[in-house]
Amino acid sequence: MYVEKGCYGGKILFIDLDKEEGKRQPVGDSLALKYLGGDGFGAYLLNKFVNPKVDAFSPENAIIITPGLLTGTIFPTAGKVAFFAKSPVNEGWGEAVAGGRLGFMLKQAGYDAVIIKGKAKQLSYLVIKNDEVLVKPAEHLKGKSTRETQEIIRKDEGGHFKDFVVVSIGLGGENRVRFAGIDVEERQAARSGIGAVMGSKNLKAIAVYGDRDIKVADPEKMYRLFVEYYNKMLESPAFVADGKYGTAEFLEWMNSERGTFPTRNWREGVFDERKEIDPYYWAPRYVVKNKACIQCPKPCGKAFVIKDKYHGELDGVEYETLFALGSNCGVGNIEAVAKANELCDLYGIDTISTGGVIGFVMDLYENGVLSKEDIGIDARFGNEDALIELVEKIARREGIGDMMAEGVKRMAEKLGGNAADYAVHVRGLEPPAYDVRGIKGMALAFMTSPRGACHLRSGAYALELTGKFWKFEGVDRFSSKNKGREIAEMENFMAVYDALGVCKFSRGIFLLDFYDALEAAIGKGFTEEELLIIGERINNLKHIFNIKAGWTREHSKLPKKFRIPIPEGVSKGSYVSEEEEKEMLDDYFGARGWDKNGIPKKKKLEELEIEEFMRE
Amino acid sequence: MYVKAIPENCSGCMVCEAVCSMVHFNVVNRNKSGIRIEKKGVTEDIPHVCSQGNECDYECIKACKYDAIKIDENGVVYVIEEKCTGCRLCELACPLNAIHIHEKMAYKCDLCGGEPECVKYCSQNALVVVEG
Repeated sequence: MYVEKGCYGGKILFIDLDKEEGKRQPVGDSLALKYLGGDGFGAYLLNKFVNPKVDAFSPENAIIITPGLLTGTIFPTAGKVAFFAKSPVNEGWGEAVAGGRLGFMLKQAGYDAVIIKGKAKQLSYLVIKNDEVLVKPAEHLKGKSTRETQEIIRKDEGGHFKDFVVVSIGLGGENRVRFAGIDVEERQAARSGIGAVMGSKNLKAIAVYGDRDIKVADPEKMYRLFVEYYNKMLESPAFVADGKYGTAEFLEWMNSERGTFPTRNWREGVFDERKEIDPYYWAPRYVVKNKACIQCPKPCGKAFVIKDKYHGELDGVEYETLFALGSNCGVGNIEAVAKANELCDLYGIDTISTGGVIGFVMDLYENGVLSKEDIGIDARFGNEDALIELVEKIARREGIGDMMAEGVKRMAEKLGGNAADYAVHVRGLEPPAYDVRGIKGMALAFMTSPRGACHLRSGAYALELTGKFWKFEGVDRFSSKNKGREIAEMENFMAVYDALGVCKFSRGIFLLDFYDALEAAIGKGFTEEELLIIGERINNLKHIFNIKAGWTREHSKLPKKFRIPIPEGVSKGSYVSEEEEKEMLDDYFGARGWDKNGIPKKKKLEELEIEEFMRE
Repeated sequence: MYVKAIPENCSGCMVCEAVCSMVHFNVVNRNKSGIRIEKKGVTEDIPHVCSQGNECDYECIKACKYDAIKIDENGVVYVIEEKCTGCRLCELACPLNAIHIHEKMAYKCDLCGGEPECVKYCSQNALVVVEG
C-alpha cells in the first residue's frame, strides 16, 4: 500500500544481456519499509544477486541502478541515483552516487531498481522505454567520448524533445581502466570503477525514457514542504556561496585555516600555488552559468568554458578535482586543471583516482623510482603538459598508462621495491581532498568506508573540521579519542541520505528531519531513530558483502604516508600513528557491535534483521 | 501577459517542470508540464514555454483541425480537452516548442490563472512574467 500510493516506481527490472531480455518484479511494502530505496535497495540487491567472490569483470557481476526513495518527487535536492557493483578497485563493495536526471527518469519509467547481468555479444547500448527493453548494437560508438555517445543516442532514439536520458562510459570504461566511471549527463558516478564493469559487459550506454506519473501519498502536503524548504534554502548562506563558487568555496580555508589540503601526493597539507584554482579566482573569469542537478534550487555545478590552448567546456571544477588534478600534481594553472577535468569526464575516468595515480607517478619520478624513459615525459610536479598527457595515456592504456590504469595499489605492487611507500590508497581507492593526518576522524572514515578511502560515506569532514554537526559538539580533529561512535553514526546518517536520494549538501538544512516528507511521499513517516536503524542496516549489509569478498581488518590499513607529519601550516606536525589507527578501529568496531576482527556479532545482525545475509 | 525564459540564467534544475505538473495534476510528470527544459550539452539549458501569441503567430491555433485551441478573455491560449484528439499538428507547428502531446492530449502553459508558479520557484531568475 505504501509502494502503491507513494512515490515508488513499483518495479524492479532484471536485465540479462546474454539473453537480451528484461523481466519485471513488483516492489513489496516489506522491502520498501526495511530499506527505503536508493542505497538501501542497492545494499539489499547486490548482496542478494551477486556472489561477492566473483571477479568484478565476470558476467556474473551485476550493475545495479537505484533512484533514491524521494528521487523523482518535488522534494528539494532529491534527485540522486546510485550505481552498485562488485568493484574492480577494491575487489569488494562498489558504489557511486550521481546527480543528473537518470533517477528521475527511471521513476517515470516505473522502476525503483535496475539489475543488469551477463555480457552483450558485441559493444551495445541498452534502451529502457517504459516496459520496453532493447539491446542495440553500439559498434558505431566505439571509442566515442561520453558526451558524443549521449548526443548520438539521444538523436537516434528521437522523440519530440530528444527526451531520453542517456548515461554512458567513455574510452576509460571500454578499456577497463579500473577507476572508470559512468557519465550521467555531465555529472559523474565516478568512484569504484563501475564504468569499467560496464565496459566488461560490453555495455556502452543506457538510455531511459518514461512518461508515467510520479505520484505521492499526499500531494498538498508535499507541495507545502517543497515551498517551505525551497525558501529555507534560498535564505541559507550556502545558497550564495555554492551558487557563486560551487563545491570548492572553502578551498582557501582548507589551506590557510586548516592546513589539510593534500598537496604533491600528500607531501604537504598546504598548496602554495593555489591562487588560480580557488573558485574566487576562476568563477568570475571562466564560468558562463550555473548548472544544477534535478530539483536543486542551489546549483553548485558550473558551466566552465576554456578558450585558447586548452579549449573546452565542462561542468566543474569540483573541490575534489581541484585537489586531485591540481594540488596533488602540483599544478596551479586552472586552465590546465579544467582541461584535465574535461578529459577525465569525456574518457569517463574518475578525477580523484586519476589525479591520485598521476601524483603517485610524479612522486616516483622525483624520487628516482621511475625515469623519464619509463614515463615518456618529464613528470615532475607542476608540469601541466605531463598532467594532460598522463590522463590521455591512462584512458588509452598507452605506455605507462597501462599500468597507471590499474590504480595506485596495483601499480605499486607491480613496480615492487619501495614504490608502495609512495602509494596513497585505502583498500585500493585513492583518497579525496582531506589530509586526514590533521583530521583524525576522517582517517578512520577512510578505513571504514565500504568502498575504500572515501569522504562521502561518512561525510564527517565538515564535522571534524568545524568541530560540530548534528548531535556532535566540541570534536577535536587532532584527537583519535572517541572517534568510533562518531564515524559509525555519521555513516548511518549519510546512508539515509543515499537511501532517500537527497543531496548531502543539504544535510545542514534537513538533518534527519524527514518525517513529514516521508509521510507526504509514501504515507508513512519515519523518526530520526527509525531512519538511523535503516542507515545502520545498510552499512552492515555493505560490510557483510566485503567480508564475504575476503575483507579482513588488515585490508583497511592506512598508507605509510599518513605516518609522516604534515610539514607546514596550521596542522604542522600532525600524523596518524600505528597506535592511533588501531585505537580508532577498535573503537569503531565496538561502536558497531562487531568483534575485534570487524565481524558483526550475531546479536547485532538479529537486531537489524539481516542475519540471513551472513549465513549464506 | 506571458512567461518568458532567459536561457542564459537557467541551471537546468527542472524545478519549474515539477512545480507545473504538481500544481495542475498533483504528480510529477514532465510530459504533463506546460514548461519543459531542453538540455543541450554543458552550456545550454533552454526552457520552452508558451508566449501566448506574443512571440509567435498563434501557429498552434491555425494548425488545429478540431477547433480545440482558443484564446480566453485574458489572452491566454488554452486547449479544450473534449475537442483535442492528440493529433500532434499543434506540436509540429509551434515555433517555440511550447505545446506537446502526451497520451492523446495537448499540454501547454495556462499561466496558473495569472500567477505562474514556475516563475515563483525559479531560483536563478531564468523565468520572468512579461506583461502585455
